[in-house]
Amino acid sequence: MRFKDQFKFVRQNMKKNKTRIFMTVLATAMGCAFLIVLASVGFGLQKSIVEEITQDRLMTEIQVHGKENEENAGITMDDITYFEGLDHVKAVTRRQMVDQQGEFRVGEFRAEGNAVVVDFPSETKAGFELSEGRLPEADNEVVIGHDFAESLAKWNGKETAPLNEDGTVKEEFKYKGKLIGETLNLGVKQYEGEEEKSKTFDVKIVGIGKKPTKDWEWDPNIYISEKVLSEIEAFTGTPNGTVITPNLPAEERDLMEQRKDRFYSQVSIYADDVENVKTISETIKDKKYFAYSVVDEMEQINTVFLIVKSGLIFIGTIAIIIASIGIYNTMTMAVTERAPDIGIMKAIGANPSTIKRIFLIESSYIGLLGAIFGTIVAYLITLGVNWLLPIILSNAFGEPIPGDFKFSHIPLSLPLICIGICLVVTILSGLRPARRATKVDVLKAMRREV
Amino acid sequence: MIEVKGLSHQFKIGKKGKETIIPVLEGINLKVDYGEIVTVVGRSGSGKSTLLNLISGYIQPTEGEIFIDDHNVTSFNESKWADFRLHNLGFIFQSFQLILSMTAFENVELALTLKGVHEKERKTQTEKLFKKVGLEKFMDHYPSELSGGQQQRVSIARALILNPPIILADEPTGSLDSDTEDELLDFIKQLNHEMGITFLIITHDEKVAKIGDRIIEIVDGALVEEEYAS
Ligand SMILES: Nc1ncnc2c1ncn2[C@@H]1O[C@H](COP(=O)(O)OP(=O)(O)OP(=O)(O)O)[C@@H](O)[C@H]1O
Ligand SMILES: [Mg+2]
Repeated sequence: MRFKDQFKFVRQNMKKNKTRIFMTVLATAMGCAFLIVLASVGFGLQKSIVEEITQDRLMTEIQVHGKENEENAGITMDDITYFEGLDHVKAVTRRQMVDQQGEFRVGEFRAEGNAVVVDFPSETKAGFELSEGRLPEADNEVVIGHDFAESLAKWNGKETAPLNEDGTVKEEFKYKGKLIGETLNLGVKQYEGEEEKSKTFDVKIVGIGKKPTKDWEWDPNIYISEKVLSEIEAFTGTPNGTVITPNLPAEERDLMEQRKDRFYSQVSIYADDVENVKTISETIKDKKYFAYSVVDEMEQINTVFLIVKSGLIFIGTIAIIIASIGIYNTMTMAVTERAPDIGIMKAIGANPSTIKRIFLIESSYIGLLGAIFGTIVAYLITLGVNWLLPIILSNAFGEPIPGDFKFSHIPLSLPLICIGICLVVTILSGLRPARRATKVDVLKAMRREV
Repeated sequence: MIEVKGLSHQFKIGKKGKETIIPVLEGINLKVDYGEIVTVVGRSGSGKSTLLNLISGYIQPTEGEIFIDDHNVTSFNESKWADFRLHNLGFIFQSFQLILSMTAFENVELALTLKGVHEKERKTQTEKLFKKVGLEKFMDHYPSELSGGQQQRVSIARALILNPPIILADEPTGSLDSDTEDELLDFIKQLNHEMGITFLIITHDEKVAKIGDRIIEIVDGALVEEEYAS
């Protein structure tokens, strides 16, 4: 018997008992909608959280925070050379702070901030960009952060800075001119015994960094090359230009004076592709480095959500199993009602396997219809939830929920999983009635005894 | 064509352990040749229907073998029986056994559908057969909308649709009046002559029995053959 004819047969049979079929489909649809809506909350939260984490962040970055099991826990040039030698590493950026209470002056304007020592070639490879100007070429050239100009204030010689309450410089003291090409005076201090001595390094501003990607980020730093740092170190006599104050305990002083290597405080390895982040991260973790990458964090989050989603799908499956009891009943009644017809069909030569298949098609058709209607309803519910819940929550807590936060999300895989589960469950529940149909006794059926 | 060898059948009734055995047929031997009409007679309860049900494969014999077209059908499983029945045997029943939820057309078409014939081909073949049995006006009627004679003609059309070499009939005229019975018997003879279809007909009606090339009587579970020269 052709599938087309079997299907036609099934449809004809189903038409004979529309109400019963409708109720069964309804129960299945409710089970499916329940499963999808429940699991969609897991998918939605995961999506929102992952988007929150990965937003504006480089997925290829691995931050290295130090090394385990060594007295000297900082990252040195040796480590960096090692990182650069690894496979799939595109760049290794390293930033050091000049260990000074930085005081910067441009003419009669003054600002306090950090001088960050960067390796410009590797920063460029990793995506450091300028909004204006160019990268330093000569030894005494520097790049300033995007918001450096904002932090400059006209100095009136007094200690109190002319600041507003929120920390910004008062309008009348602001620096209005352009900065590229200007000379910046970098003040450095050191103690020689009890006596404080200071020196000013004159550097030239050649570029301005790009605006930080996040709205709330603020970049008032200046970026200097290692060559400038070397000059500062030559003056202070300590790596990173560390100030050794006279009132420091003797042990600490000794330690500081013994230190020879520079420490890199912000080291990031950039992989050439997201796929390689994990391998690099694992390699260096094996070498006892403390490493962190968004990919690592994502992996943990995804594991947690995998468990959560599986749990939700499992609970949803129970609803479908309950609905399948309805399918079992419907199919059992259908077999009983149609036993005379089944008997006649067998009498003239219908194969038991054909009869079984017809009933299995009927039960899986009910399951499929239920799954499809359930999916449609689940999509509608999800739309409603995502529209209504933020309104309710923001009214309840008085705080707006971030605009693109989704409570419920249905990826394509979810309806497919649901349809799959639904089909398996309905076929299983239709199996026994279908087998019973094949067992109908021809003679009894023809005597209308069943 | 049909050969029955040492066939015995007993029914068991009652609960397990306390079964009563009802012996019905005992060592039956029967041979039906190509193109023959054989009628089986006997008192009510003598086991005529049981014999036919065994040959149709609806029940399994306690002992003995049945060969149809040189196939040992007693060794068939359910699935094999189904295919064999569909392709080699036509059935006519006393109470017609039409599927009530299907039209006359669908009832006749069913065997073609089961065989997997295309819809278009099914339609032409079925319509042709309806013309032959003179029911072309009633194709879309449901069995409940047909007279007994019409229903029996539909069921004959159903038996003929796959051109089986053998037709088995259990009291085919049992539910018909005398005139309709005559029509049906003429039709059976016509089919036998024109198409060479072999008939095994069970009846307790003299008139029906007489159309047989041979008449066989079942007495006390055994066969008694009466040659008939008609
Ligand atoms: N399913 C069954 N279980 C038990 N006994 C049965 C069964 N079917 C038939 N019999 C018994 O077998 C015997 C023969 O029955 P069968 O139906 O073959 O008779 P028959 O010759 O066709 O009679 P009739 O002319 O009345 O149709 C009867 O005594 C009957 O009681
Ligand atoms: Mg009988």
